Amino acid sequence: MSENQNTSNCRISRNVLIKAPGLLPMLYTPREIAEDLDVPETTLRDWLNHGAPHSRGESNHIWIDGKQFAAWVDSQRNARKKPTHPLQAGEGFCMRCNAIVTIQNGEIRPVNGHLSHLKGKCPICGGIVNRGIWNAGSAELSQG
Amino acid sequence: MLDRQNYLKVKLFLNFSRDVHGRSSHQISNDFEHLKALLLWAGSQPLSSAPAFNTSLSDFLFQKAEKGLDQAELQNILNTNQRFLLWTKAMFPDEFQNIHLSWIIKNQQSRKERR
Repeated sequence: MSENQNTSNCRISRNVLIKAPGLLPMLYTPREIAEDLDVPETTLRDWLNHGAPHSRGESNHIWIDGKQFAAWVDSQRNARKKPTHPLQAGEGFCMRCNAIVTIQNGEIRPVNGHLSHLKGKCPICGGIVNRGIWNAGSAELSQG
Repeated sequence: MLDRQNYLKVKLFLNFSRDVHGRSSHQISNDFEHLKALLLWAGSQPLSSAPAFNTSLSDFLFQKAEKGLDQAELQNILNTNQRFLLWTKAMFPDEFQNIHLSWIIKNQQSRKERR
């Protein structure tokens, strides 16, 4: 009987990412896993609350399958990788909206060599959006 | 699933090695990696019935890692396992009475040495 209360991502240290594949195919107590992975037991219990695979025995003791836990740690590593989205021409990242937006009323100013600076407004919040451009092309210039 | 009692004995041995023999944390970590092979070899069976296992530990190690395990590393693993088995025999004489010293000595020899 597996318990998954909260499936949000956890911050897993590099040390744990390295050690987790070495866990054995057996049932561990939280303390044993914490010792083997060299993390505080409270941290491990926090991971259990965030969806790490575990089960409870007849006497309500928590048991963790080493291989299942290692697979969960690996999935957390992959989940933390954000999908890359290269900015298209005329786009910038609005720090207020925390999103990629199309820059309005953009102005390009040369900074140094091939580097230029595109400055415009966010269409959502109206805040200023800045973006550095390498080899500014006609696509960006047309925005201004 | 591996036998938990085997795992607990390995942990006890590692604590004993650290506290009594003064082995460093690096050595303990290495010993644990070597003893994982023994735990996997035993599987769900208790280590006290090790002489009845079908394959020897060295054969199991060869099957497990035909490539990437040199002779020196294999001998290190077998030496650590010998120390552990000698310790368990001393600490749990009743449980490990079926394991004889001659078997432990023979078991730690690599396949090459036995030929």
